[in-house]
Amino acid sequence: MTTPRQRATAEFVLDHLVWFMLAVVLIIFSAFVPNFFQIGIFANIVEQSTFVGVMAIGLAILIIAGHMDLSVESVAALTAMITGILFCSRGIGLGLTLTPEWLVLPVSLLIALAIGAVIGVLNGFFVIRLKMNAFIVTLASFIWVRGLVVAISGGRSAQDLAPSLRVIGIFQILYVPLIAWIAIGCFAAFSFIMTRTPFGRHITLIGGNAMAAFRAGIKVDRLMFIAFAMAGAIAGLAGWLLAIRTSGATANLGIGMLFHAFAAVVIGGVSLKGGVGKLPGVYAGVLLLSSINTAINLMGLPAHYTQVIQGLLVLAAVLLDTLKLQIRQRFA
Amino acid sequence: MTTAPLLQLEDIKMNFGAIEALKGISFSVGKGEVVALLGDNGAGKSTLVKIISGGLLRSSGRMTFDGEDCSFASPADAKAKGIETVYQDLSLCTNVDVVGNFFMGREMVKKYFGIPVLQEKAMEDVVAKAMANAGTRIPSLRTNVEYLSGGQRQAIELNRFAHWGGKLVLLDEPFAALGVEQTRRGLDMIKRIAAQGIGVIIITHIMTQAFQVADRIVVIRQGIVAGDVAAKKTSPDEVVRMITGETVLSAAS
Repeated sequence: MTTPRQRATAEFVLDHLVWFMLAVVLIIFSAFVPNFFQIGIFANIVEQSTFVGVMAIGLAILIIAGHMDLSVESVAALTAMITGILFCSRGIGLGLTLTPEWLVLPVSLLIALAIGAVIGVLNGFFVIRLKMNAFIVTLASFIWVRGLVVAISGGRSAQDLAPSLRVIGIFQILYVPLIAWIAIGCFAAFSFIMTRTPFGRHITLIGGNAMAAFRAGIKVDRLMFIAFAMAGAIAGLAGWLLAIRTSGATANLGIGMLFHAFAAVVIGGVSLKGGVGKLPGVYAGVLLLSSINTAINLMGLPAHYTQVIQGLLVLAAVLLDTLKLQIRQRFA
Repeated sequence: MTTAPLLQLEDIKMNFGAIEALKGISFSVGKGEVVALLGDNGAGKSTLVKIISGGLLRSSGRMTFDGEDCSFASPADAKAKGIETVYQDLSLCTNVDVVGNFFMGREMVKKYFGIPVLQEKAMEDVVAKAMANAGTRIPSLRTNVEYLSGGQRQAIELNRFAHWGGKLVLLDEPFAALGVEQTRRGLDMIKRIAAQGIGVIIITHIMTQAFQVADRIVVIRQGIVAGDVAAKKTSPDEVVRMITGETVLSAAS
């Protein structure tokens, strides 16, 4: 027999499992990996988590809504490339300038968000209006959007981004560059939206039982369109940040990030069945992956092992998800 | 009580391709009246409920609700007009807690700088009160519905419609998973709701339940109305004969 208190404790641990994993991993690395325990390393982990993290927000929201968006990586690459082409001064960059100069910042951001949202709406159209499978639709987008990136760049790169943009990548608060703070801000904002606003509540309800939500008078299709557009726009933001970080864009920028984002989402406790998951957990998942990456680098292991370990981590996360269900049932 | 019926159905037909599920249904429900809709499996009861509640669009026929012609494109439309529905297959999101389900689609919000923010505490208080009034005990309103029993789930749905009221309530086999005591409370709840002037249509397979609450009994058989009688003027045996078609047969011979 379990007391309510034991049950509450167990629930709390299960709900925040990824944070405990992150803490344990950080303690172990700090103790055993040489040079790991220093402020610069931790700041670096946070900075590394920016792009995959932002991308993972949109992905997580769509998975919570019971759908999928595999196109986030390519969308980010596209907006990075377009930001690069417009506002870089070397390579294929057009070197566009605006007066006053700081105007580049909001304009480039709006362009990136808009492009992302347009592709999101396209995905949404196929999935919601034409009732096609989200996995396939967004897989197609993953491919054609990347193709578009290669096509518009001709495989070449853009360098030397406008200085007024680069400032965000360089300026630091508490050892962490502004771009990473933007990612953290996004996690905070979208966590709030998902848990405290009717929009987030409805998205969660739809992910749990779309039919029930529809019967209750929730405008399911409209909300799903918004969710797809939002995931696209967030991926656009990730691309914009990526362009700023690398001060330009290459045609293969961001390749492989989808799988990191996906792994983070699953490790962060978002169920692929839909309806279950919390965004702070996803951020912890991203931090966990970055920590492991950093530790592998510091230990001087060949980078190939990173992928092996990440694959195993995803497997472990799904296994944990299954185990969690069984533990919960015992406590219920 | 006014003489004009709350809901009037005239010659409602529904085709699914070549299959004619409803072949012209006509009946009405008055304000504060409880109508039990009976019929064998596949008679078309659930189809009819979906048409009234906005889940399906009828192929032809006229529907008048509260004095005006109606066609509901979605359940949201029907709800906006004051028609609440409790479905046979439960309409709960098991991944969300009791409060979230109770307020599904009409959450209490307060705007801060134009951003609507959920008022969890206020909503929880309302649910706690509604549950207490109905005598339903659920350990914690913050438990996700997936950890609750079938009976508790159905109780949430019943309390939900009782709380929101509206003008007409449709119940599709509402007591399928309830125990004896809960069923009794559910039937009492229906009477209370009807006493407030709300029309009720209840679909059930259990004859005794129909006779316990209904003012009128409408029997549907093979897509048509096979009987429409006041509950006081008929008997379970007679209703069974209408359902199986015996009375029609005997009338023909």
